[in-house]
Amino acid sequence: MSLLSFCQWLQSIGFLSDIRESALVYPVIMTTHLSCIALFGGMILMTDMRLLGLALNKYTVTEVVSALRPWKRVGFCIMITMGVLLAGSEAEKYYHNPYFWMKMAMLLMVGVHALIFRPNVYNRTEEIDRAPAIPGRAKAAAVLSLVIWLSVLSLGRLIGYYEGEKPEAPVRAQLQVK
Amino acid sequence: MIQFAFDPATNPLNNNEWSFPLLECIHITGFALSIGTIALVDLRMLGLAMRSQTSAVLAKTLAPWTLVGLAIMLISGPMIFSSDPNMYLHNISFRFKMVALLLAILYHYTVHRWAVYREPASAAGKIVAVLSLGLWVSVVAGGLFIAFF
Repeated sequence: MSLLSFCQWLQSIGFLSDIRESALVYPVIMTTHLSCIALFGGMILMTDMRLLGLALNKYTVTEVVSALRPWKRVGFCIMITMGVLLAGSEAEKYYHNPYFWMKMAMLLMVGVHALIFRPNVYNRTEEIDRAPAIPGRAKAAAVLSLVIWLSVLSLGRLIGYYEGEKPEAPVRAQLQVK
Repeated sequence: MIQFAFDPATNPLNNNEWSFPLLECIHITGFALSIGTIALVDLRMLGLAMRSQTSAVLAKTLAPWTLVGLAIMLISGPMIFSSDPNMYLHNISFRFKMVALLLAILYHYTVHRWAVYREPASAAGKIVAVLSLGLWVSVVAGGLFIAFF
């Protein structure tokens, strides 16, 4: 089975078609997705700012990282669930959408970022707190995290603008879709 | 009905296909910063995060970031609005959002502020925190629903 036919099968599943066809459920899921950006995306931003020494300096890096880690995990689970429902209900459209695949690639980079920086930054925060200045590797982790997450956010927004092979519509007309 | 005698086609924002999506990304980043930092204080008031110091200490250290986020929101928002003012004015979700936003900002700098700096923290503080989260989520919801209703 090709990926395309898998996508067609996926979006034909009962509850996923129901989401696509519902006037209310689809925007409610999107609202949840967006609210999670506000709640948990803010935590990512502030953790990065702490690693750069720009915010929350009254707290140790250890305190910030360990206090926010469980919340970020909760947020990540909600985000992924909502994302799967949104993408699954429109799987065939998403299959053709380059921004969707760029977003997936950036989410993969989130994993790569964790593999690289977890052992020597996020799991060694006490060492960072004892150091006279914030080490370069911690700052590099923070800057890359900002770049990756802001890309995920922007690419996510751009998914809604891709109109397929049709000639370009004016921006305003594209906003009115749905 | 109020109508603006304004032709959106004359707005430079509508003459570049990237300007609108870019503004939206900036707007979302702005509220991640403002609502994200407010939510962090709310979680502290509920005793659920950042417990090593009081809500007051946390709120004080995050306040400039909240303000930066609000500024980004309140600059990018009206620019988005200017792309098609008459559509937004007559959009029920937009109207809901504006009321929720006004309430949320007023609440944040009055009731919420009072509860955050109150020592010792009381049960009332927890109610204030839950209401704050609810108000801000309403603002986000109102914004998203503009495209649907």
